Amino acid sequence: MADAELKQKVEELIAANPVLLFMKGTPEMPRCGFSMRVVQVLEAMDVEYGAVDVLPALQPLREVTAEISDWQTFPQLYVGGELLGGADIVEEMFDSGELAEALGVEQSAEARRAEAVAPTQAPPLQIE
Amino acid sequence: MIEAALPGAIVEVVDETGGGDHLRATVTAPQFEGLSRIDQHRLVKAAVRERFDDGSIHALSLKTAVPGS
Repeated sequence: MADAELKQKVEELIAANPVLLFMKGTPEMPRCGFSMRVVQVLEAMDVEYGAVDVLPALQPLREVTAEISDWQTFPQLYVGGELLGGADIVEEMFDSGELAEALGVEQSAEARRAEAVAPTQAPPLQIE
Repeated sequence: MIEAALPGAIVEVVDETGGGDHLRATVTAPQFEGLSRIDQHRLVKAAVRERFDDGSIHALSLKTAVPGS
């Protein structure tokens, strides 16, 4: 049985953050390869997200997320209050473009990266 | 084990480390039709939960698909 106070706190966080990542470590210093992969995807998508380091309370948080989302492993990415998935699902959805859709980002990250790169590749002046 | 829980499923398992406890599985099952990825993964994880609980699997990397897609 999960700690009721912690569960309420987690539910409030999920409700308050449109994109929320529960991860091992921090976005600046991930402490697990799977968490790092999700951070990299989110950074590539250029979306604002909240991040919670689960390591200080790993077992209690496992119990809480097991009750909330039937999911006990981290990372966990919540979008719009729903668990989207862990690293496997997030990467698969990123590759297929479904993540952009889920995050409400209009273009795929690839397209946006291509756009960002394009101006530097274009000649500064057009001479006819 | 996954096949028993999801009749008709096609399961491919790769032992990533050779130790038998870090596995990568690709599961294609008719039961996934209409489910979100997270629900597809929940079905597979529920099928192998025992093995996680007894410690014989530590990590399972999953990819799920609906047949014919």
